[in-house]
Amino acid sequence: MKKIYNKNLNIIAVCMLVLTATLSACKHYLDVNPQGKITQDDIAKDPNAAKALVTGIYNVFYIGGFDPDIDSFQFVIMTDIASDDADKGSSPDDYGDAKQIDNLQTSATNGVVNNVWTGHYQGVARANQALDKLQNAQFDAATKNALIGEAKFLRAYFYFNLVRLYGGVPLLDKVPLASEANQDKYQTRATADAIYAFIISDLDFAAANLPDKGATDVGRATKSAAQSLEAKVYLYMKNYQKAYDLSKAVMDGGKYSLVKDYSLIWRQRAINGDGGNNNSESIFEIQAGINKDCSAGINLYSVSQGPRAGGKFGWADLGFGFNNPSASLLAEYEANDVRKAATVISINAHGTVLWDGFRIPSQDSVQNSTYSYKAYHSRTAEDNCGGNTDRLPKQVRILRYADILLINAEAAFQLGRTGEASTDLTLVRTRAGLPSTGASLLTIWHERRMELAEEHDRFFDIVRQDAVMPGRAAAAFAAHGKTWAAKYALFPIPQTQIDLSGGRLKQNTGY
Amino acid sequence: MKRNLTISVLVLFCFFFVNTSFAQNAPVKGKVTDANTSEPLIGVSVAVKGTTTGTQTDVNGAFTIQAPPAATLVFTYIGYTTLSLSVNNQSTLTVKLQPESKELQQVVVIGYGTQKKRDVTGAVASVNGDLLAKQPVQTATQALQGKVSGVQVLSSGQPNSAPILRIRGTGSVLAGANPLYVVDGVLTDDIRNINTNDILSLDVLKDASAAIYGVRGANGVVIITTKKGKSGPATVSYDATVGFRQVANPLQLANRAQYTDYLKDANPTADVNAPVTFPGTTDWLKVVSRTAFTTNHNVSVAGGGETNTYFISANYLDDQGVIKTNGFQRFTIRANNEINISKKLKFSEQISLSRGAEQTVNLNGIYGNIYRAAPIIPSIVDGKYGNTSAWGNVGNPLLQLDKANNFTLNNRVQGNVALDYKPISSLTFHSAFNTDVRFNNQKNYQYQFLADNSTFTVGGGNQYQNNSVLFVQNDDSYQYTWDNTVTFDKTFGKHHLTVLGGFVTEKNKSNFLNGSRQDVPANQDQWYLSLGNPDVNAKDDNGGGLFTRQSFVSRVNYGFEGKYLLSGSFRRDGSSKFNQHWGNFYTFGGGWVISEESFMKDNHLFDQLKLRASYGKLGNDNIDQALYIVTATSNLPYYFNNTLNLGSVIQDIKDLNLKWETTTQFDIGLDFAILNNRLSGEVDYYNKKVADALTKIPLPGILGDPDNTYITNAASYSNKGIELGLKWNDRINSKLSYSIGANISYNKNNVIGLNGGQALYDGGINSNTVTRTDNGQPIGSYYVLQATGVFQTAAEAATAPTNTFEANKVGGLKYADINHDGKIDANDRVYAGSYQPKYYGGFNFAINYTHFDLSADFTGNWGNKIYNGKKNSRGSENDNIEASYADSRFTTAKPSNTNPNVITASTPPSTYFIESGAYMRLNNLTLGYTLPSAMLKRANISKLRIFLTSQNLFTLKRYSGSSPELFNNDVNTGITAAGIDNTNYPVTRTFALGLNLQF
Repeated sequence: MKKIYNKNLNIIAVCMLVLTATLSACKHYLDVNPQGKITQDDIAKDPNAAKALVTGIYNVFYIGGFDPDIDSFQFVIMTDIASDDADKGSSPDDYGDAKQIDNLQTSATNGVVNNVWTGHYQGVARANQALDKLQNAQFDAATKNALIGEAKFLRAYFYFNLVRLYGGVPLLDKVPLASEANQDKYQTRATADAIYAFIISDLDFAAANLPDKGATDVGRATKSAAQSLEAKVYLYMKNYQKAYDLSKAVMDGGKYSLVKDYSLIWRQRAINGDGGNNNSESIFEIQAGINKDCSAGINLYSVSQGPRAGGKFGWADLGFGFNNPSASLLAEYEANDVRKAATVISINAHGTVLWDGFRIPSQDSVQNSTYSYKAYHSRTAEDNCGGNTDRLPKQVRILRYADILLINAEAAFQLGRTGEASTDLTLVRTRAGLPSTGASLLTIWHERRMELAEEHDRFFDIVRQDAVMPGRAAAAFAAHGKTWAAKYALFPIPQTQIDLSGGRLKQNTGY
Repeated sequence: MKRNLTISVLVLFCFFFVNTSFAQNAPVKGKVTDANTSEPLIGVSVAVKGTTTGTQTDVNGAFTIQAPPAATLVFTYIGYTTLSLSVNNQSTLTVKLQPESKELQQVVVIGYGTQKKRDVTGAVASVNGDLLAKQPVQTATQALQGKVSGVQVLSSGQPNSAPILRIRGTGSVLAGANPLYVVDGVLTDDIRNINTNDILSLDVLKDASAAIYGVRGANGVVIITTKKGKSGPATVSYDATVGFRQVANPLQLANRAQYTDYLKDANPTADVNAPVTFPGTTDWLKVVSRTAFTTNHNVSVAGGGETNTYFISANYLDDQGVIKTNGFQRFTIRANNEINISKKLKFSEQISLSRGAEQTVNLNGIYGNIYRAAPIIPSIVDGKYGNTSAWGNVGNPLLQLDKANNFTLNNRVQGNVALDYKPISSLTFHSAFNTDVRFNNQKNYQYQFLADNSTFTVGGGNQYQNNSVLFVQNDDSYQYTWDNTVTFDKTFGKHHLTVLGGFVTEKNKSNFLNGSRQDVPANQDQWYLSLGNPDVNAKDDNGGGLFTRQSFVSRVNYGFEGKYLLSGSFRRDGSSKFNQHWGNFYTFGGGWVISEESFMKDNHLFDQLKLRASYGKLGNDNIDQALYIVTATSNLPYYFNNTLNLGSVIQDIKDLNLKWETTTQFDIGLDFAILNNRLSGEVDYYNKKVADALTKIPLPGILGDPDNTYITNAASYSNKGIELGLKWNDRINSKLSYSIGANISYNKNNVIGLNGGQALYDGGINSNTVTRTDNGQPIGSYYVLQATGVFQTAAEAATAPTNTFEANKVGGLKYADINHDGKIDANDRVYAGSYQPKYYGGFNFAINYTHFDLSADFTGNWGNKIYNGKKNSRGSENDNIEASYADSRFTTAKPSNTNPNVITASTPPSTYFIESGAYMRLNNLTLGYTLPSAMLKRANISKLRIFLTSQNLFTLKRYSGSSPELFNNDVNTGITAAGIDNTNYPVTRTFALGLNLQF
């Protein structure tokens, strides 16, 4: 009996071994899908995915800080700190790359220069991916073209920044296939003219297909936004007629008006219907909010520019202290210009009380003497996400009506319509509490500087003015204590990117 | 072992039954003894050469045999060298047998089977479990430090940290450089759950013989075999240690006087009498550290009947951290059983349950801050903390410690069930189901506190936690490997053949679910997500992983006359981690036991001499899953009409043709034993090359990849080296014996080529990088400015090349303008050594005299460099400095040409911060006393030993920091930026009293 029992067991054992052999030789055992991830194929199959991909382009505005960046701290360094409007700020030795840029010593290996390059191309890539998937999306023509219009508007904005910062850059008009990515077509610089032409064609499409303000969600690109951006692009292209026509179209559209109180433009909430987020003069604005994981704000935008403790310390400060309005900027304000107090937080000997009642202690406990008021986001009177200061929901105003008025003024002046220029100027100056003045390039440019200070426009503007009136930049930077040279009109192409192209990207002259 | 015994018995039977006799035969008598101890040897087989005549020695070692006067007698005995002796007309012979080297007799585990050490053709090191259990450490591999050539071990003073192993150098940058661990057939990367007392042996496959583990063998394999019972009455063992740990070599930081003196230069405007300061000196390390207690209790019962054996153990380990609040407790149970169901069928199981409870600290924050916190700020006064951050400094480390509670619970079930079927004696079918199941639970709570007078002696600063935050995570993983093998093992005359074939199926599944909420009450009983604010900052996350592998394994070992050895293995591995699933891995090796050759019979030098060589190809697929599949990122927020919209993006660029890293390794080695086996050793040369190594290739920014890199197989690395291990064993008399062991390894690591991959910079200090991994240099080489001295005069500083990092000034560091472009910038960096030691090793010494035993283990390395990151890393001008630097820095009164006046956040990484990493440490010193057995017999105790042991008693070093052993187990920086001393847990010294009891 026992023997039989053993024999049976042996047979069972052999059977088990054979069984395991057959079971585990399953053919698809090694085909495992990624867990918790949506693959590219899944996206392609989803008819609504294209819409989400367009939303995904807007989301790129939230990147930044010390990393790839579009409209955050790195961009602020290249536009404000680089200009005569601001000093680097923070403690003297903090952030060498920013210091280089502030001192007009930017090298091709500067990390900020690379971060802004890569950040903008991330935006371009997101736009191209969305445009790629929109081709086959199942929407009605109007919806589809509006979505394409949004993607093209955003792409145009990214390229407009790129061309102004670096000159001609590689032109990616679609998602390159893996096999194409290394082609000269993508790895070499297109001319600045080609980039401008591409921007114009994107904006033409956007202006023709986007619904206007009121006919679409607040925050989405509109027809007016496309026209406004295009007007600005034409100003840079010195095509004053187009700049005039497009800015005039926006003005005639009557959808925008100046906020009465200049200081309320950058507040989160309107006061008596004036100012606040998405106010009457806001044409395109980065939207932000409070979501559960506190990820719906621009990384470090506000906190990097916030007042910083120094000296005796002893208070809970508001930020890293970068981007301090410069002496040269302060000196250019006319007496009674309300914009000075709304643009600059001036630290004084007795403590400074901000609009929300926050008191910054006296100068001996503060690192710097001026800070940008436009980047300030109140911790008490405005929303934040559970104390998260990295992503304060500050909505950056990218295009606003005062800018359009000044673009119109300059274009009109260049076209000999001095009267219209003067009217535009008066609108802007009246709000600033200043009397009318005659229109000239110098008065218009003075107004642009005062009106748009610390709004990441100045560096581009002074370079543009220098192209119209040579010597402008040298004079401005001399007043700022820096020595200008023609090569600074463009930043260097990041050395990393030149290396990665195998030397096919050519450096700007002088670097 | 058992097989050999059987063969011997069979041979003896032959002698008994086949008895031929010759007329001239005369009786020859004699006695066989051990050549070293002169003790009689029982059961030695004695045979007349060329005949079938034979006998055995009796209990006194005596024998009588009929042999012709000119005959040659052959004496064979297990564990001893076979001896041939001619009778030469003598009638009485005195025979002394030389014990064979234990090393060569040892059985080693080689993966899916075992082999006698003497038959092994690969480089396999074997360490007895008792040797590991001797040291009061949690994880067995820590006790391996300095014991095995070719194996570098790094350990930390932090409880429950897994020691880092590098077998024959660093062979990978992105796919992990740690070896594979195989615990009783379970493939794992973490053996912290294993009770060291349960370990029978630990075997390390260093060379290409690890190819039997194919795609997981490239970094070497550590095989752990746990104990089994032996037939016979139950043996009960109780082992315990109780002791304490303290910070070893605490770093001396500047005191009040030194610090305030330094501030005069570093931050002249600082008011050292501000209300936030106090008149004394705070030693921050002392404030947050303590003498920690450590205990370890282990009970095991082993035994067996006729058809079964058992081994059951339980272990409790309590390891406090030297940083306050930090600690770890582990409880393990093991049950190993073998049941012979029939003569042909065996069932066995080995299972271990472990539960670890860990209270962790945020090391980066706290330990870095200890170093930098100002000594003139009080730590705590009447329940109110000193406000270091209001002083423009780091956060108060004690407050950081007090206001966080991080608790992790790890539960793990690991083991296997196996069935062995032996239809005939030479054939074994083996099926084992190995599994590893983990359930972990983590709870982190950060208390709410404000930067005001309720928290601090003086309010202000940026150290605050406006809202309490609770983070909870549950995660689990399940892994199984199912091994099915057939082994054929037979001796045909002079031929010995072992053939293995089989297949393995593996599946890994993991899952996590976590959430965080703010404003959860501070009461520990209320630390649940449901009590937090559901609307603000509420996060939940859930994810998982799944991957599978499938493999076919085979191996052939062949030996002829025990002299000529050949072996080869082939494994075909499939891995779900790649688009192209399958790859082939193999090894072949040969061995020549020269000492067995007839021409060596008469040599008096070598008791053993063996030459062996191996070559093979191995793989490494230890990377994230689905790295080759393009995926979308979804749920990205944006607001339209003030309403949340969720977007998605497709932006990560992937290499669709990703494959495993492949390593080829050549090894040649010599094993020898001389002087009656008292001195034995082995020497190896190896050349290991990793091709298709994963590397991050930077992508042009225009492609829009978020981190501008993608991972592909492009790099190749090499490790070449020589290893030498020596062991001297001697027994002077029955009272005194001793042994000395030493091993040293030389390794040269080199990046052969990144092949399109760009140099990898790592090790961020003050927003600059410190290391560079590039062609022609060791992985993670320092790449910094070359400091050439200190500016002594203003004139000198004014004429020097422009420094783009910080202005040249008197007392500032001077750097070499390597590219002669008139400015000091990132282009002037030079290679300045690597963290990888050129030489490492250890030596140990043990002596037994009557009832006393004393042993000492040393370990050390040299030829490596340490980057003193703590010194270079500056958050603000008010950061504290080392006392030694405070005294030696440049001042106008006391100029120095070495040490700069101040070190700021702008001071770039340079050779100034690089120091020698050479050290030698007394890793373990143990003194034991075994009570005489006569005393214990009455109490039925078979063994009672008490001992005193100390871990890390002293370190001889050149490095100015606390410890030259830098532990960095980060998956990335642990490879490309290890050796930067920045936030290491304090190294500890342990003293413990122990007891071994057996009855």
